[in-house]
Amino acid sequence: MAHHNEDNEGSIGTSMHGVTAREQVFSFSAHEGEDVPSSRAVRFDEPTAKFALPVDSEHRATVFRPFSFAKPHMRAFHLGWISFFTCFISTFAAAPLVPIIRDNLDLTKSDIGNAGVASVSGAIFSRLAMGAVCDLLGARYGTAFLLMLSAPTVFSMSFVSDAGGYLSVRFMIGFCLATFVSCQYWTSVMFNGKIIGLVNGCAGGWGDMGGGVTQLLMPMVFHVIKLAGATPFTAWRIAFFVPGFLQIIMGILVLTLGQDLPDGNLSTLQKRGDVSKDKFSKVFWYALRNYRTYVLFLLYGFSMGIEMTINNVISEYFFDRFQLELHTAGMIAASFGMANFFARPFGGYASDISARFFGMRGRLWTLWILQTLGGLFCVWLGRATSLPIAILAMMLFSVGVQAACGAIYGIVPFVSRRSLGIISGLTGAGGNFGSGLTQLIFFSSSRFHTADGLSLMGIMGMIFTLLVAFIHFPQWGSMFFGPTSDELKSKEEHYYAREWTEEEKQQGLHEGSLKFAENSRSERGRKAALDGSSHSTQPENENSGNV
Amino acid sequence: MAIHNILFASLLICLLIQSSHGATKERLFSDLEKSALEVTATPSRVGEVLAAGIDKLSITWKVSSTATKEPEFKAIKVKLCYAPASQVDRPWRKTENELFKDKSCPHKISSWSYDPAVKTAQSFDYTLERDIPTGTYFVRTYAVDAKDHEVAFGQSTNENKTTNLFSVQAISGRHKSLDIASVCFSVFSVLALFVFFVNEKRKAKIEQSK
Repeated sequence: MAHHNEDNEGSIGTSMHGVTAREQVFSFSAHEGEDVPSSRAVRFDEPTAKFALPVDSEHRATVFRPFSFAKPHMRAFHLGWISFFTCFISTFAAAPLVPIIRDNLDLTKSDIGNAGVASVSGAIFSRLAMGAVCDLLGARYGTAFLLMLSAPTVFSMSFVSDAGGYLSVRFMIGFCLATFVSCQYWTSVMFNGKIIGLVNGCAGGWGDMGGGVTQLLMPMVFHVIKLAGATPFTAWRIAFFVPGFLQIIMGILVLTLGQDLPDGNLSTLQKRGDVSKDKFSKVFWYALRNYRTYVLFLLYGFSMGIEMTINNVISEYFFDRFQLELHTAGMIAASFGMANFFARPFGGYASDISARFFGMRGRLWTLWILQTLGGLFCVWLGRATSLPIAILAMMLFSVGVQAACGAIYGIVPFVSRRSLGIISGLTGAGGNFGSGLTQLIFFSSSRFHTADGLSLMGIMGMIFTLLVAFIHFPQWGSMFFGPTSDELKSKEEHYYAREWTEEEKQQGLHEGSLKFAENSRSERGRKAALDGSSHSTQPENENSGNV
Repeated sequence: MAIHNILFASLLICLLIQSSHGATKERLFSDLEKSALEVTATPSRVGEVLAAGIDKLSITWKVSSTATKEPEFKAIKVKLCYAPASQVDRPWRKTENELFKDKSCPHKISSWSYDPAVKTAQSFDYTLERDIPTGTYFVRTYAVDAKDHEVAFGQSTNENKTTNLFSVQAISGRHKSLDIASVCFSVFSVLALFVFFVNEKRKAKIEQSK
């Protein structure tokens, strides 16, 4: 893997380190011959033998051992995904308790729906800002800041006495979903590019599981507190202390056990010296110019977005429609989110396998099939009138949309090289946007029964998924059309190099993009293998069940 | 072929189960005998909003002389029901004709076994439970038969549920001790973060100056 020094390493916020799986992320410039202060000296002095895992020249781990807690790599992985998991628990903690909360606060369906929208909206902005924060403070403090500054918002549920308060608190808690970015940033700094797909996929999927676990955890905690003697309207407030404590504990663990970089912490190592920085405005501009950014934004809105909406509404739906106990409804709702454990990595893996045979076209079809099936089963879930059918439909639906999430991030890395971080971040934000939108339209008013809302949401999802057909790469084609016949434009190099101006090319700033273009030839599918592009040592075919 | 038979048989069984479920579940509210019981519910403070957990209702019920299904009565169930004003934009409190789906009377007040020999009005006091939500209510009594199926009812309001309604204000569920604990932990969280931050910056400065 080449030294990609320049790209996305520049001004604050451009890096969005590792929000997706495939970028070569270096926190330090590895400019040979440039006078970079002590960081370089530190790196080359440390013998690599002192790490528990085999590492590369940047001291990033080259193997992934999920059962290990070795410092610093696996520890960073576990601290990262558990922090993200904890934040998912906090954000969706209210959902399974809504049947109690709505009686205590005299909420209407609109109040509940609007609070659900608010709970996912904050993260649209915090996720975009998080890349910059991690650049400034490092992954450790980025994560810890989110965890420990949003813990007070979780505790403040004890003060809530009306619909307005409920909405504000849920809005504020929602900001902590930006731990998604800090978690991916941290793993990308710690793990080599060859395995980063699997690592990020596991971190993302296991973190998302928090949305499922909370549906089990909160009703159980509530039940225990009631048994201890509290009346229901007080017990649910006490129950919120549990996610609050978890956040504080994780924050302290992150600060004490974690390490920003393989060689130490950001503040004790000196920061890099003069490196040609990439300008945030340019990176942002190229992201906005690329129409695929918007397509992916909407597509993720109807996979991750729908998933988050379901986290908010499904427990109440089962409670009301099938007259279940609170914890039974919670258990069923939990299995939706828990499917993330394997469903999301599976989606990325399926994308990679299809790319091996059919190239980018395979990835696009895989995405379309998974997301459409997800929408179809969502429609079925809304139609189901008996409990076993509803559960079956829900499980199939969960695998469909969650695998689609994984499949989307199998495509994101190829959309742009220069603006990779921003596009990944925007895609992630699209998920929150889609969730807010679907909750607003279908679950915030009495216009639709919740069951009809689910079916209509599934139909809307299937319609928007048709947008996949519009993702076209001149060098690889799209779902229905082949690559362009133009000699020049059908080269990967042309696509990735056109994000740089002539002056920048003359300065050699686009070297990284060219190297990436060479490696991405595998997206041509079988033909690329037959063409003998053997010098791409590690094509983008790794297990990429990512974010 | 054996597989086909098994699948067909299981499909039949499922359908049978569904339909048999349906048979018992299709008992309708409109089939019940109306005004078989005369019910009055008098709040302890008339014309004011009652406080849950504190205020009382004085409830009396009596079997009406016009009740035709009276021989079937085995027990009397008294329930607190939502008035239409409290059902607006709250589909989880909806009134449905099918009795098993109806969600408008979720709060049980009490249950009495019916003694046909006693013909006078029965009355008792009910203190509003602490988990009663804020809303407007009336009282309904169902008479159930030996199979625990409702056969008749009476309510403290008229058919359109517009008269004799009373309002309840729920407890807030908040406690001073909870508020204090919440503030303490929040402050701890923010302080701990800044202590770590400042400490590390200080250590980094010392490292640098070395």
